[in-house]
Amino acid sequence: MPLPYSIRVTNATVEFDKGFVCKQINWVVHPEHHWLICGNNGSGKSALAAILAGAGEVQMGIVKDLPQRVGIVSFEAQQELIEAERRKDDADIMDVIAEGTPVTEIIAAVAKDKPLADALCEKFGLTPLLDRAFRKLSTGESRKVMLIRALACKPDLLILDEPFEGLDVESLAALQSHLTNIAATTTMILVLNRLDQCPNFISHLAYMDQGQLTQQVSRKETEAWQQLHGLLHLKKSELKVPPSDADTALPPLDPDAPLVRITNGAIKYGDTVIFENLNWTINQGEHWQLTGPNGCGKTALLSLITGDHPQCYINDIFVFGFHRGSGESIWQIKQFIGYVSTALQWEYTVGTSLRNVIISGFYDSIGLYSKPTDNQRKLADEWLEVLGMKARADETFASQSYGDQRLLLIARSMVKHPPLLILDEPCLGLDDMNRQRVLALIELICERSDSTVLYVNHHAEDRISGIENYLALGDLSNASNQGS
Amino acid sequence: MSENYFNSLSLREQLEQLGKCRFMHLDEFGDGVEALKGKKMVVIGCGAQGLNQGLNLRDSGLDVSYTLRDAAIQEQRQSWKNATENGFTVGTYEELIPTADVVLNLTPDKQHTAVVNAVMPLMKKGACLSYSHGFNIVEEGMKIRDDLTVIMVAPKCPGSEVRAEYVRGFGVPTLIAVHEDNDPNGEGLAIAKAYAVGTGGHKAGVLMSSFIAEVKSDLMGEQTILCGMLQTGSLLCFDKMIEEGIDAGYASKLIQYGWETVTEALKYGGVTNMMDRLSNPAKIKAFELAEEMKNIMRPLYNKHQDDIMTGHFSATMMADWANDDKELLGWRADTAESAFEKTPAGDVEISEQEYFDHGILMVAMVKAGVELAFETMTAAGIIADSAYYESLHETPLIANTIARKKLFEMNSTISDTAEYGCYLYNHACVPLLGDFMKNIKTDVIGAGLQLNDEGVDNARLIEVNEAIRSHPVEAIGATLRGYMSDMKKIV
Repeated sequence: MPLPYSIRVTNATVEFDKGFVCKQINWVVHPEHHWLICGNNGSGKSALAAILAGAGEVQMGIVKDLPQRVGIVSFEAQQELIEAERRKDDADIMDVIAEGTPVTEIIAAVAKDKPLADALCEKFGLTPLLDRAFRKLSTGESRKVMLIRALACKPDLLILDEPFEGLDVESLAALQSHLTNIAATTTMILVLNRLDQCPNFISHLAYMDQGQLTQQVSRKETEAWQQLHGLLHLKKSELKVPPSDADTALPPLDPDAPLVRITNGAIKYGDTVIFENLNWTINQGEHWQLTGPNGCGKTALLSLITGDHPQCYINDIFVFGFHRGSGESIWQIKQFIGYVSTALQWEYTVGTSLRNVIISGFYDSIGLYSKPTDNQRKLADEWLEVLGMKARADETFASQSYGDQRLLLIARSMVKHPPLLILDEPCLGLDDMNRQRVLALIELICERSDSTVLYVNHHAEDRISGIENYLALGDLSNASNQGS
Repeated sequence: MSENYFNSLSLREQLEQLGKCRFMHLDEFGDGVEALKGKKMVVIGCGAQGLNQGLNLRDSGLDVSYTLRDAAIQEQRQSWKNATENGFTVGTYEELIPTADVVLNLTPDKQHTAVVNAVMPLMKKGACLSYSHGFNIVEEGMKIRDDLTVIMVAPKCPGSEVRAEYVRGFGVPTLIAVHEDNDPNGEGLAIAKAYAVGTGGHKAGVLMSSFIAEVKSDLMGEQTILCGMLQTGSLLCFDKMIEEGIDAGYASKLIQYGWETVTEALKYGGVTNMMDRLSNPAKIKAFELAEEMKNIMRPLYNKHQDDIMTGHFSATMMADWANDDKELLGWRADTAESAFEKTPAGDVEISEQEYFDHGILMVAMVKAGVELAFETMTAAGIIADSAYYESLHETPLIANTIARKKLFEMNSTISDTAEYGCYLYNHACVPLLGDFMKNIKTDVIGAGLQLNDEGVDNARLIEVNEAIRSHPVEAIGATLRGYMSDMKKIV
């Protein structure tokens, strides 16, 4: 039976045992929609589903029109039932060996649709076990019992939390085909870790992040649907940052020298002073965040470091062992830097493939003008794998979505494992979904590489974990604050 | 005025110099900027070429400063601002020229005589003087002090692109040459190569040429196909479309962006590819129109090449310099008043293919102009490589300037020398094509053929394709584009 009404969760904060909280949830489950809830481990996927079964304590907001009868399959529910069986056993003070409740009774207790329950038992190969005690079943077998209970109870709403886990091939196929058959008549909520198992009848995706429902996407929104798949891909814990290219290793840096030292730095245009008297040292391994309002000269300051600002030659700047203006070329400077900004994305207008965009990071070029080595191609493909874009390696950069382009440029900036990675407002101009994808990639990189990170944004509160030093540029003045 | 240098040479020497042009391979630039390391480079002039080349050279680790005339410094003119805001040292000729190992003369042609006469006495013994155009040496016969090395390094793109491509990690195709009369220490080529590396040119392809080949082919190309033909074509096609009742906004847009679109096809695959973008009936039509125009215009192309070779052109233009550019400024004003120039491009969608389908005459004009310029240059002793670069290769670059802001932009981007020659060509070519244009209708410009039947005669199509593909500009083009694609952007 489908839901009689839509379930409405409005601005709800729900607390669960062990202190987990779902915050400010706004969600409408329409009777004709089938949702799939996805997210990281610990993000609150299962908790969100459980709210619909009436679990947790609503501390704020409204949870309205919960269904009467919910069929639920989850590890928690499974564990609860096993636990209850065990307690029954413990409570038995008679000196006989308790056999425990047989499977057939466990099922019959809730299965209103007896013929369906029998048919499912047959399909799942459970018939020979019907007389066995429930608590003697293996995990997989007891899972099947849970499934049959849920499916055969004539539920208004079916909540299936990782229903495909631990099922043998035949049972999995049987379950999938059964779910497809009942999709027209039963409202379903699935919780899955792997989106590649997402059944075709799923109409909506809900994405949980740290207890918040941050994304809700309908299958009709094709692009967002794809991007959410991409985001989940990036959150996979087994992703590894590909290594640097051994054949084009960077010249070694003096480990005791700072990466960057600017003394009395200034940028002036005629009488207009963007900033002056700026002193800044970036040591290796010291992550920095640079903040300040628009126009305060953040990007100009960075371009003194990257060598893109012509006034770098009239400032006292020491970078990567070079005193600027002593006969070094900008390519000798840029080889140590990975750089991403919105401006770079605008300038990256050459019609080249995704693979070549990533390879161009080895050459610090916009477009690729050198013949790449086989190893560089291989590494680029590994990065595309990390981004979940390997199948698109030969498509053109220009034809990619704005968010995908940004991810590609971040990967480009990292291919050579630069000693200094500069992320100049990497989330600027991105919608929330793409922001989350970019932050997921940056976190991955920060965690799994040795680059010193210089992160720039104008929201001081928008911090990345692991950054301990701050430089705040004033509003078109020479005031700057540094701290750690 | 000194004697025309080219005319002072024997025919044998003239032909030898005209025949110099060799595509250099990337591995010939292994020494990088070494020949200029630690040398003092002083740039005269801080316009688009001066500033952008200087920025590139400095970013390549070289020592660059700027020298300007006293007045420009005292009045803090734009050139002074350009240099100082970019953190360069700026000084007078007296302050900087005596310290220079290489002096880069990046001023406009017409200032060369005055500038060179001013700096030459100040230059230290054995230093190098670099030009980006050979006009002063070849046409004006400027004699440079015997102890000085004279070279030319000429990026074949506007200054802004010289910089933009360098920043991307690439460069623009560059022509280099050594003036053999002034290479006392035999180091001219090494300096020119290092200079080309410093501006990033070696990555995009360097042509080793001579002062004479550069001047005589450059003048011919810019006057005829590159600027002249596009200007004449723009005016004639626009007026015809208006006469035939095509919407003015549409006509304006079709021409403004049409040249860029059709010549983009030229860039990738020569005249053959440009023609292949047309339907079979349209291709045959364009071929016939081009043949007709080539017959009509051939005497004009010959006249331009002859006037360039004899020095008649440069003498005429220098007379106008002496007359405060009266002709040039008057013609420039006339161009600004043309109907095409004054009609803004309409807010209409024109697909990439439509520019071909509705611009058959424009395609024919490009084909006729490229082939005629190439044929005329090679007939005059300029070798095919030079002729290719100064005709087909540069056409898309100039077409791009028209797309930006029509003829005004084209004429303000190109040199005054090119602009003067362009007007000469236009004034002769518009009446020359008068009768031809009378028979032109919207089927070849503005509306397309609109045929129900796209069928063509097999024998005729084979004949036309064969004629297009076997033109000598196609053979050399395929070879040179092949070299280029080894090193150019992997598109």
